[in-house]
Amino acid sequence: MLSEEFTAEVTKSKIAENAIKNPLKDLILEVKNITKEVNSPEGLLTIVNNINLSVESGKPISLVGPSGSGKTTLLAIMAGLDLPTKGSVSLLGSVITDMDENQRAQIRAMDVGFVFQSFHLMPRLSALDNVMMPLEIAGDPDASEKARNALVQVGLGSRAKNFATQLSGGEKQRVAIARAIVNQPKILFADEPTGNLDTKSSSAITDLLFSINELIKTTLVLVTHDLSLAKKCDEIYELSDGSIL
Amino acid sequence: MIDGLRYGLKKFWSEAFSGDLLILSISIILAVTSISSVSFLGDRLQTSMKLQASSILGADLVLRSASNIDSKYLDLGTANNLNTAETITFLSMIISDEDNLLTSIKTTSDAYPLRGELKIIDFDGSHIKHNGSPPSGYLWIENKVSEALQLKKMDEVTIGNKVFKIDGIIKDYPDRNSSFVGFYPIAIANIIDLEDMGVVQTGSRVVYRYLFSGSKKNLNLFNEQLEEIPSDIRIQQAEDVGNNLGEALNESVTFFNLASLFTIIISVISAMMAVKRYADRNLLHVSLMKVFGASHFFVLGHQIMQLLLVIIFGTLAGLVFGYALQHLIITTLQDILSGNLPPPSFKPIMLGFLTSTFIVFAAAFPYVKILSNTEPIIVLRNDFKINLKNNLFIYLVAFTTMFIFLGLLFQDLKLMFYILVALIVVTTALYIVGRLLIYLLGFINFINSKGWKIGARNIIQRGNESILQIIIFGLSLLFLIVLTETRTDLIDSWSDTLEEDTPNYFLFNIQEYDLDNISEYLQREAALNLEFTPLIRGRLLSAKRSNSNQLSSENFMEREANLTWSEPLPKSNSISKGKWWSKQDTKPEVSVDREVAESMNLNIGDELLFSAGGSNFSATVTSFREIEWESFSPNFFFILSPSLGKTLPNSYITSIKIPSDMNIMNKFTQQFPTISSVDLGAIILQIRNTISSASLAVQYIFLLTLIAGILALVASIFSNRDQREKETAIMHAIGANRFLIFQSAAIEFLILGFLSGITAVIFAIILSSIIFSQFLDFTYSPNLLILCLSFLLGVVFIFFSGILSIRKTIYTPAVITLRDK
Repeated sequence: MLSEEFTAEVTKSKIAENAIKNPLKDLILEVKNITKEVNSPEGLLTIVNNINLSVESGKPISLVGPSGSGKTTLLAIMAGLDLPTKGSVSLLGSVITDMDENQRAQIRAMDVGFVFQSFHLMPRLSALDNVMMPLEIAGDPDASEKARNALVQVGLGSRAKNFATQLSGGEKQRVAIARAIVNQPKILFADEPTGNLDTKSSSAITDLLFSINELIKTTLVLVTHDLSLAKKCDEIYELSDGSIL
Repeated sequence: MIDGLRYGLKKFWSEAFSGDLLILSISIILAVTSISSVSFLGDRLQTSMKLQASSILGADLVLRSASNIDSKYLDLGTANNLNTAETITFLSMIISDEDNLLTSIKTTSDAYPLRGELKIIDFDGSHIKHNGSPPSGYLWIENKVSEALQLKKMDEVTIGNKVFKIDGIIKDYPDRNSSFVGFYPIAIANIIDLEDMGVVQTGSRVVYRYLFSGSKKNLNLFNEQLEEIPSDIRIQQAEDVGNNLGEALNESVTFFNLASLFTIIISVISAMMAVKRYADRNLLHVSLMKVFGASHFFVLGHQIMQLLLVIIFGTLAGLVFGYALQHLIITTLQDILSGNLPPPSFKPIMLGFLTSTFIVFAAAFPYVKILSNTEPIIVLRNDFKINLKNNLFIYLVAFTTMFIFLGLLFQDLKLMFYILVALIVVTTALYIVGRLLIYLLGFINFINSKGWKIGARNIIQRGNESILQIIIFGLSLLFLIVLTETRTDLIDSWSDTLEEDTPNYFLFNIQEYDLDNISEYLQREAALNLEFTPLIRGRLLSAKRSNSNQLSSENFMEREANLTWSEPLPKSNSISKGKWWSKQDTKPEVSVDREVAESMNLNIGDELLFSAGGSNFSATVTSFREIEWESFSPNFFFILSPSLGKTLPNSYITSIKIPSDMNIMNKFTQQFPTISSVDLGAIILQIRNTISSASLAVQYIFLLTLIAGILALVASIFSNRDQREKETAIMHAIGANRFLIFQSAAIEFLILGFLSGITAVIFAIILSSIIFSQFLDFTYSPNLLILCLSFLLGVVFIFFSGILSIRKTIYTPAVITLRDK
């Protein structure tokens, strides 16, 4: 649910801006033959096995599957948070698997947003400070103003000064979404965004995520084991034992 | 990196007030307070000691001899831009119309003294301005001389062939120990009158002194040119007489250093604990920063800026507290320090910043490295924990850095060696105790108590964390116990220095025929039982080794040696080497003070040649003695065996305690005018003041270390508080009631506290005995009261702090705790 304060002017300008940045049917993410193996006490363990997929700009996709199926690992590799053992990932036209950590960090800072199952807000910072964090890291001089706007977008304009510990689960995830979109990312990765929420809050967060995706034409990559949530995406990839079915 | 620094600056205050940086900051404040106060103090004490030492000599450097010194040395001093002066001191009779008095005559040149002050007053009490010596033909005398000879201004007296007019009274003079110690009153004449007096002849007992003062550089240059000086000339420098400031002050400085060292070590421990918690809690922040695109250098910049600000603010606060504490101690010590101390130098400020930088570097640097290398993927894995086992190098780096720094700081390799060995041994012992505990708890089946079962399980589950806590608790308690014992024994030993019946008067020049009269008089008037000690005025001529080699013993050759003889070993003496004579021994023997024997390089069996009563005689050294000079009883460097001593002419000396409310000494001097008395009251009062001041100063420094120790314990308890809170909430959630949670936590802290306490006590006994014997020259006997109390207080403190640290969680609904974690 979007805030009433979310003005038509802002919306229009964002849509126009994103439309220029991300022409439809462009591939924003391309995963080729990704395999991830890790050492375990039982020997070499394959977490993700030879996965190929591609995501068009603006089209939300979801990765579903049971726990341990490799969804989160695949998301981490696609977002440049982890490297595969084999294969390549092309994000926003750059092959991030060939980059070092600092180069990948630069791409994340500019064009990628994240929403986590556990919210991961800094408990000792206010909602506003939490949302400002990505902009401050990027050195944006208008961080405060932009963060306030983002909080308004998620309906928490009046809770900017509250500390994370003073917010409910649903509110925390709204702040996390505001933090994820504050730098106008081209792609938004969400890992089980409703996994820690009750039904009511889940539904509200789902609506918020898709509304924002619709309005600012960011590309949503969603990891969930909630099929009803997954069905809201344009494409669903089902994983089992590290492979796409 | 610059962006990271800027970001760190921006986020500092929110981190600082969150509590994570607070304990680190307090550790730094305490360490800097301790080191800077001791350094400020040391700086000013050294200046004060230097001033006092120079004042004792009357100069910065003195050439002293029993025979005339070549005047080329005065020219050499002048050539090196030094101020010079000269004194020649000898014993002679001052003869007035009424009477005569054996007096120490000091002839001085202009400019005497070069250090300290010579105060001369007129008979009406007004000050007389002077250039260092009276005009030719005039004499300044001490009050004792004017009283004994009933002299007034311009009265005439004769010394040898020269007639002098009395010009003034000597109120104070600096180099009191430069001549014939204490026993004789002093008179000062101009050195140009010496020849006219005609009293100094070959064989006369004379002390010739050349005095020099100037800049350290010029003094060093001058000193270098004195290498070829004849062996009968002794060089005395201000540094050599620094000990005269008092044993209590030296011992308290040793204690300050020890306390300061312990405070830094404890502060490093608490800083490490604080940094560990800071790092644990910052893992989320850092990994989120990485997820949002922060580079390795950005994160590094953020961490460096935060720690830099902690260093700056912590050090500034520590310096303010350190200066204030130093000021408090200086005020406390003012009775033993000379008046106007110069302000402290900038050295302590630099030292404060160095200390805090070192603590942060030792404790935090490895964590900074871990944090800046954090993988952003841990955000998705929810794995925000620094694994201690994989980061053992952190502690290695921290301790290596700590010892390099402390070694450079204290420049006492012996002390550092003992502390390093103690740390390694005690840490190993505590580790073994912790391992054994975990191993044994696994075998014990607490069937009847759920609390014990859960408490024991928690210790086992936490594994290395539990062992680390035992080590931190143990080390903190160890240093606190050792320091408490040192402080208590030090203060006790100082208090014992002056017992209630310490004599406050010396009576000497007592002849045999007066013994009974004096005994009777003082028994009647003050109920005193006197013990008289024979006093033989003699002179040590030479020392010979049993293989006939002559020993060079310039230290005592030219001095008058006051001798005595005694059948039993005197009360305040103990034999350190050799054997005291028996009644049957008839050979001429001598017992020597251990320190004098060392300075003269004497061995048991050496022959000493003395001159006394107009004849020369030799005696074999058969023992060395340790003398308690603080007893204020008549003590002697040389004691002769009775068979030898009884053959020599002697007078007697005794010490008495006259109660302060009994004014009998004036009457006594009238009754026995030939007996000389020395009032020790002022000296005793000075010593008492020194002792109480030094004791108070020691208490302040001890308090500082105590706070650091308590902080280390708190930091250690809080280091895994988050984990404990979470576990408590889970227990709560699955149905454990408050009592059970409380009971299991209480049992856990009780076990940890008990084991670390008992280990600390055992090793404190060992470390205290080493410190006492190696650094304080004390005999150590374990103080059971302190050991038991420290153990109990330690266990109780750990127990209650532990309980308090999770108290909030026990009374908070589990869902709130879990939601916030």
